[in-house]
Amino acid sequence: MFSRFGKPGLTRRTFLQSTAAVAAATSLPRIANAQDKVIKIGFLAPLTGAVAAWGKPGLDGCEIWAERVNAAGGIKLSDGDYMVEFVPYDNEYDPAKARTGATKLIREDGVSFIMMLGGDTWPGVQPVADRTGMLFSTLLPSDLGPDTTTLIAPAEVHPIYNVTAVEWMAENRPELKTAVMCAQDDALGLPSVATYLAAFEAAGIEMQGEPLLFDPATTDFAPVVTRLISSSPDIVCLDTCYSDYVHPICEQLFQQGYEGQIISCTADFYDQIIAKTSAEFMEGFLFQFPDFDDPALNSDQVNFADPNGFFAEYNKRYPGQWGAVSWEYASIMDLWKAAAEMAGSSEPDAVIAAMKEGGTGKHAFGDARWWGKELFGIENALVGDWPVVAIEGGKATIKEFRNIPAWYDKHGDLLVKHMKAYDQMWDQRG
Amino acid sequence: MRNLAIFVLGAAALLALPHGLSFSQQEILVFLTLNILLVSSYRLLTLTGEWSLAHVVIMGVGAYASALYTKELGVWVPVSILLGGATAALLAVLLSFPLFRMKGFYFLIGSFAAGEIIRLLWKRFRDPFGGAKGIKGIDPMPDFSIGIYDFDFFEPVSYYYLSGAVVAVCLWILWRIERSPVGLTFHAVHWQDRLAEASGVNLRAYRTLAFSIASGFAGIAGALMAHYVGTINPNSFDVDLMVFVLTWAIVGGTATFYGPILGCVVLTVLNEIVLREMGFEQMRPLIYGLIMILSILFLPKGLESLVQKFAGKRPGKSDTPERSTAQ
Repeated sequence: MFSRFGKPGLTRRTFLQSTAAVAAATSLPRIANAQDKVIKIGFLAPLTGAVAAWGKPGLDGCEIWAERVNAAGGIKLSDGDYMVEFVPYDNEYDPAKARTGATKLIREDGVSFIMMLGGDTWPGVQPVADRTGMLFSTLLPSDLGPDTTTLIAPAEVHPIYNVTAVEWMAENRPELKTAVMCAQDDALGLPSVATYLAAFEAAGIEMQGEPLLFDPATTDFAPVVTRLISSSPDIVCLDTCYSDYVHPICEQLFQQGYEGQIISCTADFYDQIIAKTSAEFMEGFLFQFPDFDDPALNSDQVNFADPNGFFAEYNKRYPGQWGAVSWEYASIMDLWKAAAEMAGSSEPDAVIAAMKEGGTGKHAFGDARWWGKELFGIENALVGDWPVVAIEGGKATIKEFRNIPAWYDKHGDLLVKHMKAYDQMWDQRG
Repeated sequence: MRNLAIFVLGAAALLALPHGLSFSQQEILVFLTLNILLVSSYRLLTLTGEWSLAHVVIMGVGAYASALYTKELGVWVPVSILLGGATAALLAVLLSFPLFRMKGFYFLIGSFAAGEIIRLLWKRFRDPFGGAKGIKGIDPMPDFSIGIYDFDFFEPVSYYYLSGAVVAVCLWILWRIERSPVGLTFHAVHWQDRLAEASGVNLRAYRTLAFSIASGFAGIAGALMAHYVGTINPNSFDVDLMVFVLTWAIVGGTATFYGPILGCVVLTVLNEIVLREMGFEQMRPLIYGLIMILSILFLPKGLESLVQKFAGKRPGKSDTPERSTAQ
């Protein structure tokens, strides 16, 4: 009887092997030749709906990544070379659909690894991960916890990297002394609020009032912005707002005559913001996600293969669609591929052991270490350098790479304090 | 005898159904079962002529209540599910005081506002509602064995049997209510309200009764969902899902008991299985919307009218003479 699955007597490994065998026996690869051996990777993220901007561009980037890897001979495991194929499932940022998607990807498609955006959808998937032992990745390390050892955050350490831009700003523009902040009141916005508060406090920047939390259903940002800039702050911080909010907020800041510094986690499709405001208004806008044609990414420390070529190919296929996540899922795949090849296997246990060997890993922006015991209860976040990006002359430009653990070593207590105040520590969840 | 045979065959088919489905389709079947209860309970409210936009939030009230009863008070899950439904019904009674001062379009907008207030309260108060993150790690239904079958409620088949049994009982109760004098009075409140009032029927009391019964069953659906998925948050019960409920009811038709169920089943299978299997993963909202528009244009009386046409049958004695005013 199927309900006996997962009970003693059937190990996770046996379970995964059997489902992979069933899936392999019942399906044919779509993009590889029939005689090729194929490794399937699950892509479980919002592809439609309000949060699709943090799923769909990532899938597009993964397809380019897969073509490149397959053209170079695929993934080399101990029993031969494998072509890689992505199997997407649109979870619509809904935990119930994410659970269904995880079940499909593991039990029907026989994937070896599943990449997620995370956030609201992770708690729906967590029981599936715990039961099957499947290796998952998230872009949001706030999903991490000691209960699930097979969830990793190897690309993005949101929102901790936000400290780097604040630190850079404080050093390079010391005349900026006061700040205000707004954020959507959700699982993505709140940990970011806590992080920016810690970063501002560490930088000696005074907050003019409590962060303004708005409902995610907000569409009219005129009153939000009016209230935000009523105290004439030097800095307006947009936290980790979705692009659907960043754009209208910037428009309102422009229309209401704000002339100070703007700092934000993301500025997806910033060319559209410039078109709606002006290049002068957006000059100096600070955020965290570079365009991959930036010459700074050709540095030896960067582990992402051919970033400029990847960016050019992406823009050729999906003009105007480059966003924060376009490269992130692909960079996770770089890490997974290297670990699978080192282990000689795509088994989740073997891959994660290889990935974490020595406590370090090759993050897209440089060598990094597995980190997060204090904040996440488990060292499953790969943390190292992160770029500070400014818009200059209408183009995103990397100003500097800064080290996140170095900031944390100096100001970690502040981050913990603010995370606790917003109930964002791993042991405060649920 | 014929009815008994049909019942036995139907029950056997429903018992066998999940074993003919893939794993992900079994998951979808669980949510479909819960949504059938949601949309059927919604129809009970529409019998009185009122269309609410708070029904999904009320479902969430049941989910939050049941989750909190188990997490905070240690209530046994099956009991907490019933208490979740009771809490939703009780809240509906409280909401009825301001809401049933309004009718028709004003009630519709008022119910939307009430629902949003409840959702904002969930977001605002991190203790006990978890704020925007919601509640995680909700206790699952405890597993048990009946000798020939092990109920492991992580597995969709087991949960389908549980939720299917609960939903079947709930649908039977809803059916009996509609067939009872109370149900006939609901129809009268909708279609002959002045005459009913002149006959001594307390319109507001009957509207409140329909609202609270419908809410109670929606709350049970929400509680069942919470203990299956293990997490809930305010976005799980937003207006997007309410639009789906309205769509199921409108496309299926509300003149018969089975109309909204038909709409729910057909549209869910279309959206979650057919379009995904056809590779239209990212185009589903577009195609789904198009099919909905075509259905409303060419099937103005809903999918139920097709059934009646092929069965050569007009609406039954308890069915409404025309479709609801909201259409």
